[in-house]
Amino acid sequence: MAVVSIQKNAGERRQGVFWALLRNHKFVIGSSIFLVLLLIALIGGLTVDLAERRSGAFPTRQPPGPEAILGTTSLGQSVAIQMTEAIPNSVQVGLIAALVGTLIGAFIGFTSGYFGGWVDAVLRILIDVFLSVPSLLFLILIAALVRGVEVTTMALIIGAFAWPSPARQVRAQVLSLKERGFVQVARLSGMGGLEIIVRELMPHMIQWLGANFVNAFIAAVLAESGLSILGLGPQREMTLGMMIYWALSFSAVFQNLWWWWATPVLALMVLFLSLYLVHIGFDEVSNPRLQTEI
Amino acid sequence: MNAYLIYVARRLVILLATVFISMTVVFFVPRLVPGDPLGAIFANMASVGGSVNAPELVAEYRLRFGLDRPMWEQYLSFWRELLRGNLGFSISNFPAEVSDMLLSALPWTIGLLLVTTLLSWTLGSIIGAVVGWRGRQAGGWRLLVPVALVLYTIPYYILAIILVFSFAFHWPIFPLSGAYSVGMQPGWNSAFILDVLRHAILPALSILLVSLGWWFLSMRSLIITLKGEDYILNAEARGIFERRIMWGYAFRNALLPQATGLAISLGHIVGGALITEVIFAYPGVGYRIYNAINSLDYPLIQGGVLLIILSVAAANFLIDILYPLIDPRIRFEGTGGS
Repeated sequence: MAVVSIQKNAGERRQGVFWALLRNHKFVIGSSIFLVLLLIALIGGLTVDLAERRSGAFPTRQPPGPEAILGTTSLGQSVAIQMTEAIPNSVQVGLIAALVGTLIGAFIGFTSGYFGGWVDAVLRILIDVFLSVPSLLFLILIAALVRGVEVTTMALIIGAFAWPSPARQVRAQVLSLKERGFVQVARLSGMGGLEIIVRELMPHMIQWLGANFVNAFIAAVLAESGLSILGLGPQREMTLGMMIYWALSFSAVFQNLWWWWATPVLALMVLFLSLYLVHIGFDEVSNPRLQTEI
Repeated sequence: MNAYLIYVARRLVILLATVFISMTVVFFVPRLVPGDPLGAIFANMASVGGSVNAPELVAEYRLRFGLDRPMWEQYLSFWRELLRGNLGFSISNFPAEVSDMLLSALPWTIGLLLVTTLLSWTLGSIIGAVVGWRGRQAGGWRLLVPVALVLYTIPYYILAIILVFSFAFHWPIFPLSGAYSVGMQPGWNSAFILDVLRHAILPALSILLVSLGWWFLSMRSLIITLKGEDYILNAEARGIFERRIMWGYAFRNALLPQATGLAISLGHIVGGALITEVIFAYPGVGYRIYNAINSLDYPLIQGGVLLIILSVAAANFLIDILYPLIDPRIRFEGTGGS
């Protein structure tokens, strides 16, 4: 009987987290803005012919008008059509990189925190080293050699350097959970290290990993646009960073082609703001003491 | 004191590990990336033609990188040259050495970033303290909170683009790019200094506004937390003037964590504004790296990246060592948490 009631309790609590997220205004507003932006881009992308994506498909340097709702570039591309490719691509970079970074980070953090000893000592130094060096530098170093990357490759490269911060935090969490009663009970009842990590520790971290994932997502989109503006982005595909890169390299700012540079800039701002709201929402739900009034 | 020594030793290990690991990454990345990029760069160098010294340059590099020698020999000679401070020659401006090119760019970056960081920290902390202390009575000032949130979420280079468009193009108040006017003779005279300041305002503003948002928000939340502390209530009960409680009691105590943040961001100064420098064509380290990327000048990219990594590592080390001497509340943990 006792076991049943505890399980039921846990189920209710997890459901509670979900409802708490839905009741959190910041989370709801943030994720709605994000989804609307992404859906507009995806649905818009379905209505576009391949021929319309080529450069020269439109008259050049047109301000927003009936033919191209967001104007056209110096190469005769429609900015709106570019956006339907750029937004999903940038989101894809964020998703893949955040997934890779969080997974590697969680693995390293769990290993370090759970096993302790010399494993922990070595991994901690590694985490501290990669935390202290801005990862954009390693990315520049690699991307300067692997020219003409694709969106997926770029996402993987960014993700490969996104692990230190999740690793550090997972390690701290594991250290504090490790000494709790239920882990000791599991250990006494003969569970192995890996089994304890997966079955006992993981469930406690899911919600917290969510907030961390959003954080990594923001950092990855930021890294993508930064690298692209430096000229190291995917040259043959469109991302929000690449749109800014092309606009800057055709000096759209000084030729008053404001629709060209302002559209991706605005989209990036909306994207960051919405993701940041989602992040705050996650934080507030997993740590109710953080609730602040704005 | 013994605990402090252990702590310093641990920090030293991390510093050395950072240097070692990043040098090793810098060495192996161009050699492990598929498709022989170094070979491609040399081929490109040879094909640049016209460039008077190209054959000598290629020969020099073959010798230096020793591409025909075994990997470990290359690795050792890489370290030997680095320890001598030799970063090699730039490909795009051949006779120039990478280290000289970077050193001449460094003052611009440090100058720009140091002033903006200190300024935004001071302003953000003071405004944050006032708004946090007044709480709901702060009136219109409370609007600063969402404004700061928005500023803090925007990447600084996006703000830079908007600023260039608004105040250099649409309303041409400030110069578009560069650190001083073309034809101006650098020197310590008032005309030149004024010119430099005029050029620095927009890049500085783009960095300042973004970080200001952060300092404002963190100071505000620190003050809000401190306001509930017993010693503040006690001071109020003793009838001390509110202004004195705010600055002398709450603000002073909140300064310490703020100072940690300042220290961390001072550590990131050299690498902090890479992209702002690109947008404003500001002749700092970031702009050098950008030009190197465009002209496939890998030695210069490598040198720039190394310079930034080393300065970040060194700054972090100094801060870690000095900080416990300032803040008595820090306890040293030889083995536990971090």
